Amino acid sequence: MIIQAKELNEFLVAQVQVKEANLNEAEAFKQKIISIVDEGHKHIIVDFVLVDYVDSSFLGALVSALKYAMSKDADISVAHLNKDITNLFELIRMDKVFRIYKNLPDNLYD
Amino acid sequence: MPAEKKILLVDDSFFMLELMGRAMVKEGFYCLKAESVEEAFRILAVEKPDIIISDYEMPVTNGFLFRQKLLEDNSLKDIPFIFFTSFDNEEMMMQGLDLQAVDYIGKDTPIPVIISKVNNLLSTVREQHERSLQELRITAEALNLRSVPQQSPQINGFGIEFWHKTFQNYPGGDFIDFIQVDDQYTFIVLGDVMGKKWGAWFFSFNFLSYIRSAVRLCVLDGNVSTASILQKINNVICLDPVLSDVLSTLSLIQLENKTGKLLYSGAGDLPLVYYNAEEDKVRTLASAGLLLGLFPDGGHDEHAIQLKPGDKLVAITDGMIDFEDEAGKKSDYNLFVELVSPVLAQPNSFEKIKNVTFLKDNSKEQVDDCSMVFIEMNLTLS
Repeated sequence: MIIQAKELNEFLVAQVQVKEANLNEAEAFKQKIISIVDEGHKHIIVDFVLVDYVDSSFLGALVSALKYAMSKDADISVAHLNKDITNLFELIRMDKVFRIYKNLPDNLYD
Repeated sequence: MPAEKKILLVDDSFFMLELMGRAMVKEGFYCLKAESVEEAFRILAVEKPDIIISDYEMPVTNGFLFRQKLLEDNSLKDIPFIFFTSFDNEEMMMQGLDLQAVDYIGKDTPIPVIISKVNNLLSTVREQHERSLQELRITAEALNLRSVPQQSPQINGFGIEFWHKTFQNYPGGDFIDFIQVDDQYTFIVLGDVMGKKWGAWFFSFNFLSYIRSAVRLCVLDGNVSTASILQKINNVICLDPVLSDVLSTLSLIQLENKTGKLLYSGAGDLPLVYYNAEEDKVRTLASAGLLLGLFPDGGHDEHAIQLKPGDKLVAITDGMIDFEDEAGKKSDYNLFVELVSPVLAQPNSFEKIKNVTFLKDNSKEQVDDCSMVFIEMNLTLS
């Protein structure tokens, strides 16, 4: 699966399971987030802790999932962006669109 | 060396899977094995094979049902599918052919024959794919659908150049245009539809049409502000039911031909690299606007620059900052700026930029389509 999902208080943390998040994963990722929204989760955090590189197709899928979430009164934030991905988010103003968490509780996936 | 071909074998017999699997691996295939249809779907959720070979008779879900389920899934239905069976029942074969299985292989077929069947099939599929690509290209040419212009505009006193490279020869989401509305203004358009290959390429025309009309309509109305044009483009795209699900970056630059006054607004684009000749300094120019189609209020701002002789400006899409080295892929805008800064002070900067960026070094391979627009105010006005 492209995502491993865990509930954390009122949040649903969706951990991306690939090192390279690209076109091949984009559609499956988007559909998965959409189904999480459809299940009624309102606060979704996409966890990039395992991800080294994100391409524009994947970012497109993330943004498009956000648009869907917002139409259902849900929100999506992101966590654990590495330095390159953080820079990319800032460069193209994705940091204005997504709340970025530096950390999540360590024991989340235990 | 061609990429390893991926094959998915589905058979409830462990022995058969091992036997076929070993033979396929020996022939250079990468082999995925599933002992049931359920397991096959778990594999298909993360891997996309080039071909599937499946047994008919399996407990729980048989090969027919498997094929039927695959046909219902748009992302899986086009993977070539072969039935592998010990039956030679004609009725069963007809049923299979109705399910668009491309071939049958009897279980008593010698392994080398199976291998050559699979290889033949894969090369036919590849040839057909290439032919379709070629036909699409020809059609696009005939319809004059171009997401990149054929040549740069000639504007007295300025050098305007562009460079575009497709990713693995596929057209992509990058688009470039130069709109010369009248003697006074030239609009420079550089954008990148998020996504790759055909999907992105197709949408780039829709974006371009909106951008072209918005620029012309606004200028006709006496409105030449790039921020206001960009906001109008964004409004229309947010209302478009198809495009609002597709996102695009845009750098929009308006150049006043006679004075070198320049306005710039951007939507989710990478900052421009600006070389000021008088100060001999390079700085970057970041816009505030969000990606086109994201929110009705895109928060677009506008930068004004007075170009002076020798000044240069570079706009790029994200393919230009994607690098691949031993450690994997990464995006590094600062590295790009670092690489191009020294050559911006030199003559023939445009050519030199191409040489100093990743194209120079074979270890850093291109990973997306990439585009660059270069604007320079000539040292002497001719």
